Amino acid sequence: MTQDSALTVNKISKHYQDGSRQIEVIRDLSFNVAAGKSLSVTGPSGSGKSTLLNALAGLVELDDGDITLEIEDTIFSYRAAKERARTAFRRQHIGYVYQFFNLVPTLTVLENVRLPARLNRRPDLEAFASTLLGDFGLSDRMHDFPEKLSGGEQQRVAVARAVLLRPPLLLADEPTGNLDAENSAQIADILFSSCRDQNIMLVLATHSNDIAAMADTRLHLDARSSARLTPE
Amino acid sequence: MISLALLRFLRRTPWSTSMALVGMALGVASIVSVHLVSASISSRLDGLVPSSLADFSYYLHRENLHTNDYFELRRMWRSGALPTLERLSPVVDETAQVADLSVRVLGIDLLSQTPSGEIQTSTGQFAFNGVWVDETLKGALSLPINGIIEAPEGTLLSDISVAHDLLNWPDHQLSYIGLVIGHAFAQSLEVAENLLPGFGAGLPVAKPNLAIGPGWQLVNTAEQYPARAFGKSILFNIAALGMLALLVAWLLIYQVAVSWLRRLWPVFDRLHGLGVEWQSLRNYFLGSIGVIASIAAGLGLIVGWWLATKLLQMSVPGQVVALDLSAWVVAKAFGSALAVCLVGGAWAFKRSQQGKPQSLAPLLTTLVLLFCGLICVLEAKTGLAGGFFTIAVLSLAAGQTIGPLLILLKRWSSNIGGSYLMRVGVREALWHPAELSVALAGLSLSIATAIGVGLMVDSFRLDFSQMLDHRLKYDVIAEGAPASLEALIKAPRSVHQANRIQHYRTADIRVNGVLVELNVTQMDAFESSRYAHDKRLGNREVLLSEQAARSLDVLPQATLRIRGETMTVAGTFSAFGDLKPRLIVDDQSVIAAAMGADFKTTSVAFKSAAPQALAGSLKRSSSMLEIRLQSDIRRIALEVFDQTFAITTVLITIALLVAAISVYIAVTTLRLNRQAGRQLLNTLGVHRVEQHLMNLSMGIGLGAVAMIVALPLGMMFGWILCNVINPRAFGWTIELQMSAGALLWPCAWGMLAAILAGMLQVGGKEEGAFGGH
Ligand SMILES: Nc1ncnc2c1ncn2[C@@H]1O[C@H](COP(=O)(O)OP(=O)(O)O)[C@@H](O)[C@H]1O
Ligand SMILES: [Mg+2]
Repeated sequence: MTQDSALTVNKISKHYQDGSRQIEVIRDLSFNVAAGKSLSVTGPSGSGKSTLLNALAGLVELDDGDITLEIEDTIFSYRAAKERARTAFRRQHIGYVYQFFNLVPTLTVLENVRLPARLNRRPDLEAFASTLLGDFGLSDRMHDFPEKLSGGEQQRVAVARAVLLRPPLLLADEPTGNLDAENSAQIADILFSSCRDQNIMLVLATHSNDIAAMADTRLHLDARSSARLTPE
Repeated sequence: MISLALLRFLRRTPWSTSMALVGMALGVASIVSVHLVSASISSRLDGLVPSSLADFSYYLHRENLHTNDYFELRRMWRSGALPTLERLSPVVDETAQVADLSVRVLGIDLLSQTPSGEIQTSTGQFAFNGVWVDETLKGALSLPINGIIEAPEGTLLSDISVAHDLLNWPDHQLSYIGLVIGHAFAQSLEVAENLLPGFGAGLPVAKPNLAIGPGWQLVNTAEQYPARAFGKSILFNIAALGMLALLVAWLLIYQVAVSWLRRLWPVFDRLHGLGVEWQSLRNYFLGSIGVIASIAAGLGLIVGWWLATKLLQMSVPGQVVALDLSAWVVAKAFGSALAVCLVGGAWAFKRSQQGKPQSLAPLLTTLVLLFCGLICVLEAKTGLAGGFFTIAVLSLAAGQTIGPLLILLKRWSSNIGGSYLMRVGVREALWHPAELSVALAGLSLSIATAIGVGLMVDSFRLDFSQMLDHRLKYDVIAEGAPASLEALIKAPRSVHQANRIQHYRTADIRVNGVLVELNVTQMDAFESSRYAHDKRLGNREVLLSEQAARSLDVLPQATLRIRGETMTVAGTFSAFGDLKPRLIVDDQSVIAAAMGADFKTTSVAFKSAAPQALAGSLKRSSSMLEIRLQSDIRRIALEVFDQTFAITTVLITIALLVAAISVYIAVTTLRLNRQAGRQLLNTLGVHRVEQHLMNLSMGIGLGAVAMIVALPLGMMFGWILCNVINPRAFGWTIELQMSAGALLWPCAWGMLAAILAGMLQVGGKEEGAFGGH
């Protein structure tokens, strides 16, 4: 569905108020991501990686600047949209993988993966959910509840769900943070190959230099809330 | 430092803290109000028996009881032959016409038994030939009055010799000998009665085994004061419902303690990690919950007292009720709150600390108790208490099934279909057995009680109105003084307007020592049909009310000796609301002929094509009589019926409310668990309205689980109430009807309560735990 898409981040700022203290998390950050390209975000804990990804998902209000996502000639501006509109937009166009607690515990594996199709009334994609799970080596776990799955398996299910709609933008916040080396490699592999094969933009926050290096572009945030962009 | 951390935590979560307080206070309030209502009814019932006689539990009676019989017995007692007796004294008890009033004359031995407490000799004048009377007789008699007593209307108390004079009896004649039976558990029974007013009424009274000569009849005082026995039975029902309210309130208090612990646990875990001992953490936990419990108990006392006042005003409109906030109530309120909190809290703390120990002991205990319950149902001797014991055991067993049921349903839950968000909501209700089972047990219990009592009341109402349909075959009924009624029968005017005139005469007699009411009237086929008997009554036949058949222990076709005549029991009829056992014979029967003048005309019934006109002319002709249309009687009877059960409805509503709060509190403790899930769904683009729909389905899920247990349990309660409790308490059976209303309304209310508990997310922004996010 996503042939022509582009993400533009234009001078965004975000701060949190902690009592009387102001925490400046993001200041004047700008970058672009093109269709089928990936961006890795690195930086120490507390440098604002999660905040940035949440901003890209429309989960946090920006103080300043704007994020726009262009999909086939229509441009969605985060600043202009109300929360309700951002939620609807996210449902349709953004996939998200967290470090943990990615799966709804009360839905089976298959139901979790099918959930975006259901939410967007896309019955045509329901069969694709089983195919994806098969591709990710999970065909025999489809009717189990997530609590029975290992960490690696859970992350694979989360990725399957995030890419089911072939959304223009895929966000991953330390998706391998909880995994051993082998599982990490596997998850990184399916994330980057999905991005390439299906023309998806991937923004991935990670602590691992190896994984960050797999991206087309790298963004490093440091604790003093300045950002450095290093093109590969 | 720990207390500072605790205080800060509580300040940051004011909503949850005040919910705990309010929930617990409501639990205590329900305990207090039920107690006060029961105690007030209990003391009102005690007023139905002159307290000089209240101690007697049995009477000994024989034909022509003579003072010599009494002295003979007394000698035996002195010699130690009657060890179970604590005291015995002669009693004269007979109704007589004194100064044109029907007065119950009670003669007791003033020397052996000075009237205590009840007598206010404020007038100063004390005459040994004087009498004590109740308020209504105060100005009506020309006898020296020593004082006013607390007794039913028209009661006169005096020394035996004075009573003899009033009744024109020979000096040696007595009515019966009152017995005070010594009781091994008398003291503990009194404590139990103070804690649960009305409870004693349900305990079976063992019949004393007295080795005395033939000819004596031992009569239970309950049969002598049927109004009191009837009232006590209703009271016991209320006390038993009160016990349920207590149980549900305890579950709520326990739930609050557990939720409290769950909220504090992350803090404790962290503090323990920092080196604080579990011991002192536990003390801080118990201390904080203890403070909440004490404040809640105080609040609950006030609210409960207010509620009880309102309830009593509703059940006895127009009467001023003075409620006695005794030490017992205060102890019960604070005891319940603190004991349940501290014991339950300590236990929950231990469980959180060590994980759940799996033990078979509770299961085995329940099985043994269930077996005992079964015996209680089968064995009528266990009395009312046996019936309610079974209900308590069933509740306990049902409460225990909730946890395993949730686990089972969770395993099965992948079969739940429908919209995905609905699935999430419903399954959430099944996902936390440990957190939700206590609250859900409370909810199912109160729904089940509502169903059981509802089924009983509906079945009862149906049988009752069927009885009214049978009974109310006349159009106008006149009641009043015998002389006026006699005059009415002879008046030509009333005879003209009526198609049929039926007069009823009545006498109180003893049959096998039991005091019964004997009705005499023309028992042709029409009249017999009023008692569900299909043909005219022969002159050696008698009809018995269900209560009479029970207390005389006879079945249809058996024979019965009445006043020296042998009669056959032709059948029994239901007589809900009758206070005394009742016998009916035809006016041509041998007994009617033999007793002739002993009967008094008590009412006259008319059939007429123009009932309104007839009633009008009857009223004009005799202002002394009470003339009623049968349609009015029916309406009034059903009104009284509904009023009797109004208080049960209120008690059940309180239990349901308390249970709903307990579910709400349990659900709020899940907020932490659910928050992460909700965050995730938000990321997936589920908006707020959809989240509310999910909460709705969770509420429905909770309600459905409660219903799975409540429906069968409620039906069992209904069956026990109709077939075990009612026969034992009142002597009548009710045919259980599965009325849709009784099944559906409690379910609807329970469902509503569960949905509200699931959906109300006030204070949802509050952080679940201290510090982190
Ligand atoms: N909801 C919030 N309220 C207040 N402060 C927040 C919130 N979320 C994040 N922060 C703060 O913002 C900073 C950046 O956090 P985060 O984006 O999670 O960093 P990272 O993911 O790189 O570890 C941290 O100092 C954190 O404490
Ligand atoms: Mg982070």
